[in-house]
Order: sequence, then C-alpha cells, then structure tokens
Amino acid sequence: MFWYQWLAIAALAICMISCIYLFFRIISLGNPPEYARRAGNIGKAVRYSFTGAMSPRQKESAYLHLPTYIAGIIYHIGTFLSIIIFFIYLFDLNIGGWACQLAVGILIASSLCGIGILIKRIMKHELRSLSNPDDYISNILVTAFQVITAVDMIYSVWPAYYIISALLLLYLPLGKLKHAVYFFAARYHLGFFYGWRGVWPPKHIRK
Amino acid sequence: MEKLTDEKIQKGLEVLRREVGSKLLTHVNSCVHCGLCAESCVYYNVEPNEHFVPAKKVDIVSSVYRRYYSTTGKFIPWLTGARKLDDATIEEMVDLLYGSCTMCGRCNKHCSVGVDIEYLVRTGRAMLAEMGYVPETLQKTVDAAINTGNNMGISTEDFVDTLKWLEEELQFEVEDDNAIIPLDEKGKDIMYTLNPREPKFFPLSISAMAKVFYAAGESWTLSTKMYDVTNYAYFSGNLEEGQLIAQRMVDEMKSLKANRCILAECGHGTRSFRWEAPNYLEQGFSFEVETSVELLAEYIREGRIKVDPEKNQEIVTLHDPCNLTRSGGILEEQRYILSKCVKNFVEMTPKGTDNLCCGGGGGQLSMSEYNERRMRISGLKADQIRKTEASVVATPCHNCVDQLIQTNAAYKLNVKIKTLAEIVADAIVLDNENEENIS
Repeated sequence: MFWYQWLAIAALAICMISCIYLFFRIISLGNPPEYARRAGNIGKAVRYSFTGAMSPRQKESAYLHLPTYIAGIIYHIGTFLSIIIFFIYLFDLNIGGWACQLAVGILIASSLCGIGILIKRIMKHELRSLSNPDDYISNILVTAFQVITAVDMIYSVWPAYYIISALLLLYLPLGKLKHAVYFFAARYHLGFFYGWRGVWPPKHIRK
Repeated sequence: MEKLTDEKIQKGLEVLRREVGSKLLTHVNSCVHCGLCAESCVYYNVEPNEHFVPAKKVDIVSSVYRRYYSTTGKFIPWLTGARKLDDATIEEMVDLLYGSCTMCGRCNKHCSVGVDIEYLVRTGRAMLAEMGYVPETLQKTVDAAINTGNNMGISTEDFVDTLKWLEEELQFEVEDDNAIIPLDEKGKDIMYTLNPREPKFFPLSISAMAKVFYAAGESWTLSTKMYDVTNYAYFSGNLEEGQLIAQRMVDEMKSLKANRCILAECGHGTRSFRWEAPNYLEQGFSFEVETSVELLAEYIREGRIKVDPEKNQEIVTLHDPCNLTRSGGILEEQRYILSKCVKNFVEMTPKGTDNLCCGGGGGQLSMSEYNERRMRISGLKADQIRKTEASVVATPCHNCVDQLIQTNAAYKLNVKIKTLAEIVADAIVLDNENEENIS
C-alpha cells in the first residue's frame, strides 16, 4: 500500500472513532425526561418520523422547493455512493463494466447538484447571511470527493483521490458534516416529542 | 438594554449547562443552514428577509453553545460562526427569540432535518430570562400572576362578584334557581380553570361553560384562589417562576381534592400545564389533566348533553391553536364538536397541524414592544379567514380569541370570534326545551 492509502485509512479511523463517540455520547445521555402522562405511542411516532414525516408531501421545505429538494437528494445519493466506492477500493475490489458507468453517471449528476447548491448559497442573500465558512468548506469537500471519485473511476488518479478522501474524513467531525450522526438523533427526538403528546403518527381529519 | 456583566454571562451559560442532554446536544448540532424552513414561518411570509428565517434563531443559540462548549468553537470560532455572548449577541437574541417568534412550532414540522427549532427558542429565552433580559411587558404579566394569582391582576373580590353576576344570568337563562357556579367546593370531580381574560374581558365564555356543566349534570368547581390556566413564565423562559405558578395549580388541585383538572380553552395554558409543568416540577400528577375541548367532545359523544346544529346556522370556520393541535395532539375533538353543533362548517387552508399561527402566541400579545409586527403577521390569518367566507371563527384558545378580535378589527373581516364552549352552549338543548328539534 502507498502512503496516501495509509493516510486515508488513518483519516477513516479518526473519523469513525469521532462519529462513534458522538453517537454513543448522545445515546448515553438518554431520552429527555418527560413526566407528563404519555398520550401516544413513541415507537410508532419515531418510525413515522423517519418515514412518513420525511415524505416530500409532508414538508414545505420539500414541496415548496422541489428543485433544491431533488438536488439535495441526488447530492446525498452521490455522497453515499462515493463512500461505498471508497470502501470497495479500500478492500481492493473492482467495479467494472456497466456498474462503473452507472456510478460515474450518478456522480457527475450529484456533483453538479453539489455545485448548484453551492452557487445558490453564494448567490442568495438570505442563505449567504446564514452561512459561515464551515458551510462552504463542507460543500466544497463533499463535492470534490464526488468529483474525484468519478474521475478516479475513469483515469485512476489515486494520490489525489486518497488525499481528498482523507481531508473530507478528517474534517467531517469538526463542522456541520457531523449531521451524518445528528440527523438520526434529531429525527428520533422529534418523533419522541410528538409521540409523547400524541401528535404523531398523525391523526386524520375526518371528512 | 441593561449592561452585560460577567455574572450575567455565567448565568446565561449555566442554562446551557443545565439543559445539556441528548436533546440539546442534538438540536444545536443538526441545522445544516439550508434555509428551507423560511416559508414555514409566519414572520418570513409577511416580511421575506433573512432576519426571519427560523434557522437564524437556531443559529444564534447554537453559535453561543459552540463558542463555549465545542472544541472547534473554542479554538477556531470563525470556522463555524461560534459567537461570544456579548451585548450585540444579546440584542440580536432578544429581537429574534422574543420579538420574531410566536413559538408556534410550524418550522419544526417542516425542517428538512428535524431540528426542534421551537425548543431552541425556548432554551434561548431561558438564557435571556436568567440574565434579566425578558421584555418588560412580558415580565410584568408574569409578575402579575405571581403577585396576584392571575396574570390580569384581578382581585378575588372582583372575581367572585363577576361569577355571582354570571350565576344569576345562568339561572335566568336556564330558568332554574339551582343552576350554580360552584366556588372552592371540595371533593368535586372537576376543578375547572380559566384564562383570566375570561373574567376580565369575556365573561360570557365562563357562563357558556357553566351552562354546559349544568346541562351535563357535572360535579365541578372553580377555585377562587388559583384558577389561572396560563403560565407566561413558559414564554419568558424563567424556570423558577414557571415552577412556582405550576406548583400553585397542583397545590390547589390537592387542596380541593378534585379528580380531574380541566384546562380552559387556552393553547399555551394546555401546553404549559399538561405537558411542561410535570417537567418543571419533575413529577407526574396524581390527578387527570384534560382540556375542555376533550371534555366537550366527551359530553356530546356520551350523550351527556344534547345539541342541535340547527341552532348555529352561520358558516363557521376553525382556527387550530398551535399549542393545542400541532404540539398537543388535539385535532379531531374540535372538529367532532363543530360537526355536531353547527350547520355549516368549513375548514381553513392550511389546517390542523399545518395551520398558521394567529400571531398572538409566544407571549406576543403581552409584548406591546412588538405590536406592529404582530399585527402585520396576522394579515396571513386574515386572508385565511376571508377565503373561507365564514361569518364565525371558532377557536379553542383565549389568546387566539384576543388576537383574532384584533385581526378582525384591523383587517375589517366582519366576523364573530367564538370559543367552542360558546358554540356548544348556543347549540345545547336543555331538558325543559322542546325536544322535537334534537338532532
């Protein structure tokens, strides 16, 4: 193995240890104390929080912003795909033929979505005012990771690929990219809160 | 604004230390600054600028958290926009968290990640309360509740006089001298609470509920000592004051030995006593806590009162109070009541858990500093009401009633605003009435 592969493995280890620490820290702190008499089913509400409540039909943040929402979904698909490919490379496995072409196609699309989201953040005054350097760095690193994965699948640019992967993995626990862990906790807490009060799963208004 | 001292900063930060748990840790770290929550906020919809994007409210609380409690924030604050708790931050916090938020929770539901934005607003308000930055008018409302037992500062003598007058009116209306409004009676099934706006401004809603209790043959009482369902400390963020007010209600329930505490039609009263008070006091209650909306639906469903929708012929629409519906799960009961008590019921759009705040929540009604802003955002509700072509707006919340009355006048809607108890009372068929028209 080359030094840059060792670098990426070390970065992966640091990233995973940090994320596991964050995850277990949240778990160890437990549920927020609720002393009021429970009015609903927490399990069902948490399931709904991760499923029905995430439906684009339920969220204005999705159905009022369909282009951004779709771009965000594709961007995340690209991120997950890049991570899977990273592990495939790490275990010295091969992706060939149509799977490689499909992956490159998805990564080109997701990278374009990432660039689009970055341009939107730069151009739109409201988003710019909400943003800090971490927002830009996170976007640039994740998009670069996707681009370099796609390029590497065609041209094998290994040192650059592993260096960018390492940078992303080292940065992940520092900034907003750690929402990779906190997203799940946030959905859980929202489900717990609404479940306790009997708001979720939603009741249907009878006609 | 009072000068910020080190002692105050420590008090503010102590709130974050006290609150730190899985929930706070999660929500201060989850926002990705996508800004897609903007349209779910009534303030942003009326005035689309960055100040009113809910993520701004998240950011100001979490940026302070990051500055003092995260490694990145401590050593490289510029990277994540971590902010010191200084005068500029405090000033912005006061305007964002008190002046630009009704704590309606609509943004929570629509957040792309699931950040409990309203919870962070409450945490931020708790910090400001500890540091002594609660807007003066809101603090006066809390002080009135603490010093006089109710947030309107009504004396017991005036309260009892009003109830005696209402009792006479009730006896006249139902033609029965045995119809009473029981005061401080021990061992009754129900202790009923009131929003102090009722005895002060809307006494007819008390007589409406008294008529319902009379028709249902209910065993109930009012307390003259502690009847105030509201807890404005929930809005100010002061935990100790919130505890004090909640404890008084618990003590009065125990003193009167009632089985059920029925909360008057009040969204935040329900939220603060049913859901938050047990957490303030760190104890479950030994008695039942229910809303009058649930009780009214129960009476109709079980046939304890008879109602005739023909008695309410006007077109009625419904405003769902945020704290009762979106954060309290009361969605079907009010619709069931209206389906049985009015001839023509039309829904608003959006409705239910998606309904828009009237603009009076979050303590806005008591904070005259922000009156102009409050009345601007109520334009959204005015549009919603106008589109229904209804002539009556029903809402199970006295705060909302007050705000809707002001909206009605400001936007010339020419509608009547009623509580559910008033609508039910109008539809009641008493045993001594002709039963031919009973539905």
